[in-house]
Amino acid sequence: MNADSPANSIVLESVRKEFQGGVVAVRDISLEVDHGEFIVLVGPSGCGKTTTLRMVAGLEEVTGGEVRINGRDVTRLPPRKRDIAMVFQNYALYAHMNVRGNIGFGLKMAGVPKNEIRDRVEAAARMLGIVSLLDRKPRQLSGGERQRVAMGRAIVREPAAFLMDEPLSNLDAKLRVEMREEIVNLQRRLGTPTLYVTHDQVEAMTMGDRVAILCLGELQQLGPPEEVYENPANLFVATFIGSPAMNVLTARLESEDGHCVVSLGNQRLPVPPSVLGRRPRLADYGGRELILGVRPEDFRPANHGPGGDEGVVSVTISRAESLGSELIVYFTLDGVGEPREGEPAPGPEAIAAIRDQVSIVTAGKLTARLGRNALPREGGRADLAVDLEHLYFFDPKTGAAIVR
Amino acid sequence: MPSVALKEPQAGQSGARWPARSGLWGATAAREEARLGRWLVLPVAAVTVALVIYPLVLGFETSLYAAGSTLSARGNFVGAGNYAEVIKDPATISAALHTLEYVGICLVLQLAGGLVTAVALRRAFRGRGLMFGVLIMPWALPSVVSGVLWRRFFAPDNGLLNSLLLHLHLIHNAQVWMATGWAIPWIAVVHVWGTLPLITLILLAGLQSIPDEVYSASAVDGATPARQFWHITLPLLRPALVVAAIIGLVDAVTIFDEIYVLNGIALNTSSVVMQVYNLIFVQADFPHGIAFAFLIAAFSALLAVVALIAARLRRTA
Amino acid sequence: MKPSPAARALRTIVIVVIAAWSLGPVAIGVLTSISSQNDVQAVPARWWPHQLNLDAYRAIVGGVHSAGTVAGCVGCNTAADASAFGQSLLSSVEVTAEATLATLLVSVVAGYALSRLRFRGGKVLLWAVVGTLVIPLFTLVVALFRMMVELHLINTQLGLVLVYLSAEAPLAMWLLYNHCRDLPPEPEEAALMDGCTRWQAFRMVVLPQMRSGIAALAAIVMLLTYGQFLIPLLLGSTPSTTPVTVLITEFVGKYTTNYPILAAAGVIAVLPPAIIALLLNRHIRGMLSGATG
Repeated sequence: MNADSPANSIVLESVRKEFQGGVVAVRDISLEVDHGEFIVLVGPSGCGKTTTLRMVAGLEEVTGGEVRINGRDVTRLPPRKRDIAMVFQNYALYAHMNVRGNIGFGLKMAGVPKNEIRDRVEAAARMLGIVSLLDRKPRQLSGGERQRVAMGRAIVREPAAFLMDEPLSNLDAKLRVEMREEIVNLQRRLGTPTLYVTHDQVEAMTMGDRVAILCLGELQQLGPPEEVYENPANLFVATFIGSPAMNVLTARLESEDGHCVVSLGNQRLPVPPSVLGRRPRLADYGGRELILGVRPEDFRPANHGPGGDEGVVSVTISRAESLGSELIVYFTLDGVGEPREGEPAPGPEAIAAIRDQVSIVTAGKLTARLGRNALPREGGRADLAVDLEHLYFFDPKTGAAIVR
Repeated sequence: MPSVALKEPQAGQSGARWPARSGLWGATAAREEARLGRWLVLPVAAVTVALVIYPLVLGFETSLYAAGSTLSARGNFVGAGNYAEVIKDPATISAALHTLEYVGICLVLQLAGGLVTAVALRRAFRGRGLMFGVLIMPWALPSVVSGVLWRRFFAPDNGLLNSLLLHLHLIHNAQVWMATGWAIPWIAVVHVWGTLPLITLILLAGLQSIPDEVYSASAVDGATPARQFWHITLPLLRPALVVAAIIGLVDAVTIFDEIYVLNGIALNTSSVVMQVYNLIFVQADFPHGIAFAFLIAAFSALLAVVALIAARLRRTA
Repeated sequence: MKPSPAARALRTIVIVVIAAWSLGPVAIGVLTSISSQNDVQAVPARWWPHQLNLDAYRAIVGGVHSAGTVAGCVGCNTAADASAFGQSLLSSVEVTAEATLATLLVSVVAGYALSRLRFRGGKVLLWAVVGTLVIPLFTLVVALFRMMVELHLINTQLGLVLVYLSAEAPLAMWLLYNHCRDLPPEPEEAALMDGCTRWQAFRMVVLPQMRSGIAALAAIVMLLTYGQFLIPLLLGSTPSTTPVTVLITEFVGKYTTNYPILAAAGVIAVLPPAIIALLLNRHIRGMLSGATG
């Protein structure tokens, strides 16, 4: 990371948070939010994303590392000196003030003259469509309205950065989708660097310019949504992003007639040279066990015959759920044994979350996402083709993606 | 183009170069918080030290010196002598026995009455708000003044209690209640009248913390209301019962106002605090009075602690 | 689960009994205060006065002497007694107000600080102050008396207020500490982000949040202070500083069986706390039942 931070940005450098009693919530996180960027911190509960956000806000003391805003070291400063605004998960409105008072409070504290406060409050209200609510009290507002007031309070101060702590979690699904778009549009208009926390990977993928995936206090990967999806850095990222989650199995990399294949029980999938070219380190795993990953969307019904698919597996369908637009199919691989107890799980070098959260199977339930006319009958056997270009490989001990 | 940072998870590596505490760096935000905190607790700390801890120590010191000391002139150091004398004093013993009687009666009446009231007031009904106002009244009124209002009730000749009981043919002659063995129970009743609202509120809070689903589930399982009460309500209410019992107990041990206004400093109804009053005010015997006061305080504190520990132990069992 | 009709009937009976039990003595007191001595001395006793008689009130409030009012009275001077009563009522109200104000000032900020701010010794202080809750006031009264004498505060309102403050501040602080912990912390954090110092955030956001708790606490402290008896009795007082609780026991000594006058004094004396209890009963309830933390 570049030591010179451009103006208008948030910089975290080796930020660490340790609570009394030795609990380390955040380990050594470094990232930068550049001008205009919308970065999403995402991860399961307890991964440290909210703690990290609060350290940037100044609501949590930083145990180690530095936080810089617009080039200024704010690590020890109280929140009011950091020139940032925050939107809370449960809105945190001032119950005893009306909407106008809520939005204008920060400006009042900054000593802005009354006329200007009035104008800016009304401008913010217009931008958010809540002008009619200005004289109401928070308890008279709906959840969505309160959320807008909370946003109004943040934007009216024109801060150097926005911090958002799961602002949409308390809204119902439909409203959430609406507000998602509004927040992104708003941020694009204002160009303010934004750090956004959520546990919902859909929000992360649809809203972020870049996504930072956290697990147990450590940054797993930071990159644009496509990158994180296409090239997950480790098993955790691979199974966290994408729904239904990526299928992961232990497999063995073997050489057959000079070609590289990955064997699952007594089934085989050829590994195309292009894949080998992208992942040169695979060569080190010849003859060894590794973890294979295939996303549900990378299966399709096999097309036999000339010019047909090369990577085909025989499966037994146990259940198929029709969503109308697509079919989610649960199946097992034929010829691959029952899950054995204590199967090679990632070794101690892999982070604990991977051990806990990803269940490695040699056989057992896999998922495929097929088009709505794909026909597998429940209980029936079928052949599914695998998109071989999208095979993923992970080290069985560390869970890291095998790339180079 | 924003760059991609791929981080390989490496368990065990952490930013160990930084100290876990930020004290070295002149924590501005933390300092501000700490400074405000210290200022805001200063008044209560000062009050506690100057007006509670200091008098406590001073009083304890006085209790270690011979009786007959005036406020300024001290007699000889007798150490625990005053305490021993107080314990052996027949007036103390009878006061203690009376207090036991008060406490026993009060506890039973309070818990039983409080439970019944709490159950009755648990679910909403029309006028419940008003009912709460009525309920709280005896607690809100000064116990001395309530005692004055109760006086006519216990009056010897044409007191209301006498009239009522005579009318119902439960007694044959008017009684001088405060001179009989009924004096202590009646005074206890007056005391309970004043403290029942508090006990009721504590039990009510306990009741309301029991989720309704527990009752629904048990009803599905075929439990009758009586069994529900015995097997669900009472066990789940135990923490609140313990709190109520402790508060009621400490409160009953220190009973004074009602006794004073209904029967003065008469010996047959004397309680331990009454005896303290007697020693300090009537006999001006400060060392013994204070010693006794300390004994009472220590005893009720001990009781409360024991009860708490017992409750906690049984809960984890 | 709706209670059965039988259960509901039972509940109604219980409620009626509770209401009668709670208000009975007060009602009797009121009835007695408007009875004449004839009514009161009659045998068998008359619960309901046969004639409405306001002599007792005239005596207590206006110092009006009448035949009935000095019956059964040893050494009474109606005018002087009425004046003393009025004075002590006023004194009680004043001392209560002052002590409550002082207690609030001290305990509101302490309760907030201990629940929201981090500073060294905070936890220790909390447990130390809560620990003093087990010390009954009569243990300290002799020493406090001596201290008051030396500070020339004995028999003054200020001295009494200080003593009450020491008795009530720990409890008040504990109740407010618990109350504060139950309030959502996010508005305060939002205020910090909005440019407030810690003190400003407290004043402008947390304090309004605590409003109902403070009201409840004020009510409880007022009731406790107004009803104090043993302490002012032990500390002694001059006629101008005697609280109404102590004075009324002196009346009992004087007017022994003159129940109408005693009842009238009692009724008037309980008016202030009765009003507070009625007005703020919802708040009081909330705070008391939440105190079992």
